[in-house]
Amino acid sequence: MIPAEKHPPKWSTAFFKWFCNQDFYEDLQGDLHEEFQLKTQSTTKTRASLWYSWQILRLFRPSMIKNIKTQNSIERELTMIKNYLKIGIRNLVKYKAATSINVVGLSTGLAAFILIALFVKDEFSYDRHFEGVEDIYRVTVKNFTRDGDMSRQWAFASAGHADRLKEDYPDITHSVRFYPWVFPDIEFKEQRFPGEQVIFASQDVFDVFSFKFLYGNPETAFSDLTNLVLTDEMAVKIFGNDWEDQDILDKSVTISRSGQSGTFKITGVIENMPDQQHFHFDYLAPIRFLEMIFTENQMNNVGGNYNWLTYVRVAPDTDILALTNKANDEFWDKYIGTFQNGGKARDFFDFHLQPILDIHLNSNLEGEYETNGSMEQVIIFSIVGLLLLMVACVNYMNLATSHYSRRMKEVGVRKVVGAFRTELVKQFLIESTLITVVSLPIAIGLVYWFLPSLNNFMEKSLVFNPLVQYELLGGILLLMLIVGFLAGLYPALFLSKMNLVQALKGEQSMNAKKWNFRSWLVTFQYAVTIALIFTILIIESQMKFIQNSNAGYEREQLLHINLTRNISNLDVFKREIMDHPSISAGTYASRVPTGRLMDNKGSQFYQGDSLVNLNFRLPFIRVDEDFLSTFEIPLIAGSDFTRDQDMSRDSVGYYLINRTAAKALGFDDPNEIIGRRLSYGNYNGQRQSNGSTRRIGRILGVTEDFHFESLHSEIVPMVMLKDVSSNRMRRIVLKVDPNDFENTLKHVENTWAGFDPVNTVNYRFLDDMFNDQYEAEQRLSTMIKAFTIIAILIGCLGLIGMVGFIIETKLKEIGIRKVLGATTKSIWMMVSQRFLILIAIAFIIATPLTYWLMDGWLQNFVYRTTISIDLFALPVLLAVLLTLLAISYQTIKASRVNPVECLKDE
Amino acid sequence: MKQFQLGEFEEVVLLTVAVLYGEAYGVAIRHEIETRLNRKVSVSALQTALRRMEKKGYLESVFGEATAIRGGKRKRYFHVTKYGQKALEYAKDSRMELWDAIPKIAFESDQ
Repeated sequence: MIPAEKHPPKWSTAFFKWFCNQDFYEDLQGDLHEEFQLKTQSTTKTRASLWYSWQILRLFRPSMIKNIKTQNSIERELTMIKNYLKIGIRNLVKYKAATSINVVGLSTGLAAFILIALFVKDEFSYDRHFEGVEDIYRVTVKNFTRDGDMSRQWAFASAGHADRLKEDYPDITHSVRFYPWVFPDIEFKEQRFPGEQVIFASQDVFDVFSFKFLYGNPETAFSDLTNLVLTDEMAVKIFGNDWEDQDILDKSVTISRSGQSGTFKITGVIENMPDQQHFHFDYLAPIRFLEMIFTENQMNNVGGNYNWLTYVRVAPDTDILALTNKANDEFWDKYIGTFQNGGKARDFFDFHLQPILDIHLNSNLEGEYETNGSMEQVIIFSIVGLLLLMVACVNYMNLATSHYSRRMKEVGVRKVVGAFRTELVKQFLIESTLITVVSLPIAIGLVYWFLPSLNNFMEKSLVFNPLVQYELLGGILLLMLIVGFLAGLYPALFLSKMNLVQALKGEQSMNAKKWNFRSWLVTFQYAVTIALIFTILIIESQMKFIQNSNAGYEREQLLHINLTRNISNLDVFKREIMDHPSISAGTYASRVPTGRLMDNKGSQFYQGDSLVNLNFRLPFIRVDEDFLSTFEIPLIAGSDFTRDQDMSRDSVGYYLINRTAAKALGFDDPNEIIGRRLSYGNYNGQRQSNGSTRRIGRILGVTEDFHFESLHSEIVPMVMLKDVSSNRMRRIVLKVDPNDFENTLKHVENTWAGFDPVNTVNYRFLDDMFNDQYEAEQRLSTMIKAFTIIAILIGCLGLIGMVGFIIETKLKEIGIRKVLGATTKSIWMMVSQRFLILIAIAFIIATPLTYWLMDGWLQNFVYRTTISIDLFALPVLLAVLLTLLAISYQTIKASRVNPVECLKDE
Repeated sequence: MKQFQLGEFEEVVLLTVAVLYGEAYGVAIRHEIETRLNRKVSVSALQTALRRMEKKGYLESVFGEATAIRGGKRKRYFHVTKYGQKALEYAKDSRMELWDAIPKIAFESDQ
């Protein structure tokens, strides 16, 4: 019968086979097949196929479908899970030592990770609350020297930039410049609030930044030039908690600073600014008010005078690079062109548009409005956080697998009864999750415990309240599951693959392979520990280097006081304040070492008879004749300033330079530069706009080099100007005897009150200021120390647990060795040896990696320590020492045991 | 009596299985019903009824021979059990009882 070659549609049959109850399938499919064949004889094959498929489709009904037994399998699953949980809990209770080691390890690891995650998340959340934040950019200007090297980049732009950029480039939809008025006083009726933060800005500020108005609205807030918007916090401060019930609209407050004052009407209250914002201020006033104070020139300046924080909002999807290039190509030529000295402005300036989301972590320009975070720090912390979590997981893996013999028989019996490997994997994953569940509350407790100190230390205000922060709660629960899974995966796979016969016989065959995955895990732990210790040693070594390095000036016993404008008669003030036996020296200075040098001024130098432009930057500070003696900076050539020299009064320059400057000017022997003529700033012999002439001065002396700025930067050429009477001295530094400090301070305060009754003395010790330069490093060091301790703690706990187990399994071997004459020492060596090999491998892996990473960190410093051999050796020695300490008790106990004890049974 | 629940279609199938004594497998039953009673029967309806009645115990089945036309699959032959027989008899008796109870006048008045 040839027509029997015809076949019904295969996919229908496959579908039928898929759903049909197995008991019915054979005869039913046979029936259908038979009828199909009959049909093909009476009608077309297509029709027969259609009929066949249709019948199958109609057979797709509950009575024909396979037994799915949903109900059943869930029930069975639940029963098994119940069983796993019960066995898991029993094991936790039974092996209390292992459980507590695991819980301590996991909870500290989790807590450290959560804290770091909170910190990192906070660092990344800066400025994100502004609407359309990805279109907001800060305008800054890069400055170049004549040679085309970048000299400085401030976080500010010039006054005239914001408006002109907006006018010229339609992509820039809004632009705003902030002018911070330096801490004026706010007065309302009888109340006076000194030193508040007032910002002047144009109307566009509300378009660039979406400040939320609690009261008033952005459209009318700046309708008049004496309007004032303030934050919620300030409204509470001035008007009390119930300001919303008072009619504060149009109430007047007075803003005043050094004699100037204005009365402002309140037109709005905005929400407090979140901590996660790269600038903060309390009051906002229209910039038009400033136009009355500044000259037109000052308000429209387009080059230099970087005092204006400038932000622009661009249209969405603007190609910011193209915009920047276009602005650079056109702007400078259009508004400045060439300077008087013939230089093209384009060669000296470059706009730089920073996305404001980048500012907090990636911007470290001169004069940042607030101290920014550091991406480097965030990355280091993230890595360390992950490592700690992994170390905790590894700890669990180690302990769980090294205790496998405890579970061997159980696994065997389960397998005999018919457990699949997946079931066993499930069981051990549930156990590891169980221990994470136990650890989590402890971890959360630890987070609560340590968060205030972390906040305090990092100057943050991180919040941890998972009951309210659902996102956080979800994150923590997810973390718990992930950790449970990660920690449990290897033990689960390891234990479930056990050979059934071996498992039931209780053979220790698993031990045969000496180098297994577990050894890698221990190596990993050692590597992390060694890396962290190495890191902390390098940081500490650099900090020590800084402390011990000769800064070139004396920083002990120096009291630094910021002067206010009220102190105007400097001669008298200094005489009176120095009139105390405990104050042995004192100097005025515009800036002091530990700070930044003032900027460069245009300068020229007489090389023989011809005037040569300097081809390097020569920044300056103003000092008086006691500067060198107070800071004990040695003079290597020429003479110090005398008391009667004064640049402003004499209209001639008086200069001291440092050795580097002398060298840069071409004089290796400093004595030869004495008396040479230097034209600096407007002391250039040219006629000034006011008709006077300031004569070119001479270099009077050369000082030894000293680290005016921190050790992050190189010693640069600098010049000291003797110019007291121009009233630009911002500080006085006094050398005080520490023995009589209280009385001295009283004297200082009394003298101060005679000159400035309004403000109090703002004093600091210079060595504190010196240390502040390295605050970021100090913080990093402390944090890494804490993390290292956690890593060591977790690692040691794991070691103790593992050694106990190794000895347990080797007890017979130890007994036999003792019978054959092994000494306690040789047995101790035998057990320790294994760990020493692991430490060696960890060292080989961890050290080069850390060295490479930390070398990058050290590059932040121009003056840095060398990483010496002992820095390499110390982490390893510490690891060995810690290991031996952790294992010695158990090892020695085991090696002293009477061999009869461990050999008598069996 | 509750235990002999038998639907109309089920009764037809059960009777047909009895009719085809020894030859009652899916295809044959379907064709028998279709030709004898001149009614369309879908495979799914028939098979559902067969399996249901087997579950109830009216039918029993054994695998038979495999043929080429069936693609090498075996036939499942059904036969009526004693219990099935009782159910059929019960159905028939209860009908007859009702028939007997009909007064003659009931049908005559229509004509």
